[in-house]
Amino acid sequence: MAIIETKELTKHYILGKKKIVVGLEKVNLEVNQGEIFGILGPNGSGKTTCLKLLLGILFPTSGQAYIMGKPPYDVEMKQHVGFLPENPYYYDYLTGPELLQFYASLFGIDSDTSKKRIDELLELVELHNVRRLHLRHYSKGMLERIGLAASLINDPEILILDEPTTGLDPIGCRDTRNLLLKLKEQGKTILLSSHFLSEVERVCDRIAIFHRGYLLATGTLDGLNKQYQAENLEDLFVKTICTFDNQQAVKTGEAT
Amino acid sequence: MKKMWLIGLNTFRESIRKKTLYIILIFALIVIGASKLFSFLTAEEELKMIKDVSFSAIEFFGALIAIFGSLYALSGEIERRTIYTLLTKPIRRSDFVIGKFFGVSMIIFVNFILASAFFIGLLIFKKSPPDIQVFKTLLLIFFELILIGSITLALGTFTSDAFNIICSFFLYIVGHLTSYGKELIERMESVVMRGLTDMLYTLVPNYENFNIRDKIVVGLDVSWSYVGWTILYGILYLCIALEIALYFFEKREI
Ligand SMILES: Nc1ncnc2c1ncn2[C@@H]1O[C@H](COP(=O)(O)OP(=O)(O)OP(=O)(O)O)[C@@H](O)[C@H]1O
Ligand SMILES: [Mg+2]
Repeated sequence: MAIIETKELTKHYILGKKKIVVGLEKVNLEVNQGEIFGILGPNGSGKTTCLKLLLGILFPTSGQAYIMGKPPYDVEMKQHVGFLPENPYYYDYLTGPELLQFYASLFGIDSDTSKKRIDELLELVELHNVRRLHLRHYSKGMLERIGLAASLINDPEILILDEPTTGLDPIGCRDTRNLLLKLKEQGKTILLSSHFLSEVERVCDRIAIFHRGYLLATGTLDGLNKQYQAENLEDLFVKTICTFDNQQAVKTGEAT
Repeated sequence: MKKMWLIGLNTFRESIRKKTLYIILIFALIVIGASKLFSFLTAEEELKMIKDVSFSAIEFFGALIAIFGSLYALSGEIERRTIYTLLTKPIRRSDFVIGKFFGVSMIIFVNFILASAFFIGLLIFKKSPPDIQVFKTLLLIFFELILIGSITLALGTFTSDAFNIICSFFLYIVGHLTSYGKELIERMESVVMRGLTDMLYTLVPNYENFNIRDKIVVGLDVSWSYVGWTILYGILYLCIALEIALYFFEKREI
């Protein structure tokens, strides 16, 4: 059964009277329990829009989104979800442990449990040596790391990560990859967006390719490669997008 | 309830560490401290001067702290996108808004207490310990500041920062001029204009209600029932402001 699901999910950004930007167009997505699902797509293809809609940060123009069968505004559902936003940015004047403690308290985690958990997580993302540093002195990659730790503070069933490895060094990338695989072993469901194809190739069970707000293709890597007669993910990526663009070109050509 | 409190505490903690608002407080303390320099008159006049200047300073600088504190509490969180993570935690949007209100109120409270303590210290130093009337004046100033903060918070849920600042200060000034306003309205020729300004007059919170310092300074008394009703008036307006904030923030895309 799908643990994350969207039905004809559509988001149009209204910028002016006649200026509408398509963020997402009738997307039907299903993520199954226990899998790692990767969303790919060029810049501005709607990946972040989709994740924000799922979490209720944005409201859909039409269509629905569900996590564990619950709509995005459901508070109880969020108890089981962890989220890492794109280019995360946190309260400047807190230290790493203080930030985690704040989020832990919002989840209602008692202080003994959260203390233990914070120590583990800081160790995990290797920020245990900078416990007293304020976040405003963190580097980009360190922010990404503390963000990852923050998204895991409630030991979530579902993890939603928007580009979790941008800004990380090669070792950080590898560690994150291993972490994701370990979390999957524990039965967690992970939905992530990424630009790193090799990364996605290695960790994701299934992928979706977005382009200009449309969901072009979804399935397992092997399945899609066969379907599109592609050799690898990069080939697949380029093929689906070019095919779509050509079709659009033909359509607009016919129209004029 | 607990989550609102946590969000409020976090807002407060950040404001303490940032220290920007405390610069305003320092100004207030300087003005209060300097008030005794103004007088070269009798001891009694000097005391009047100290009270008058101090009440005004606590109110005015408090209003600055309320407005800028509220402004930052909301738009700071949005601008720096910390709100993305916060709203994906198991909290309602209403928890966030009320939490911010708590946080701003704490900021106002602490600044108000520090400035008031300094003022009261000065009075004691001048061998004229404050009477109950002084405390009544301060109490009403405090409620006025909380109201100012909540109005800026409400405006922040649907306007830009620049517009919010202009509106907040406009309301602050007009809210203090309402008694003149009433006279003006009565003198107006056009019925339409009179109707419009009359409406504006009722909508704008009458901050002047909270101002009893002119009476207190010259030694007149203000009854507890006046103080009580004014506080009630303030709380009513505050509830309306929060209701507006909740309404707009519930629908807001960030
Ligand atoms: N707040 C907004 N207002 C207007 N348009 C927006 C807004 N946010 C996103 N868009 C538009 O929606 C489209 C999809 O943006 P989105 O951020 O979802 O892309 P993305 O796939 O995450 O891109 P990237 O890989 O660069 O992160 C883009 O065309 C973008 O211009
Ligand atoms: Mg994005």
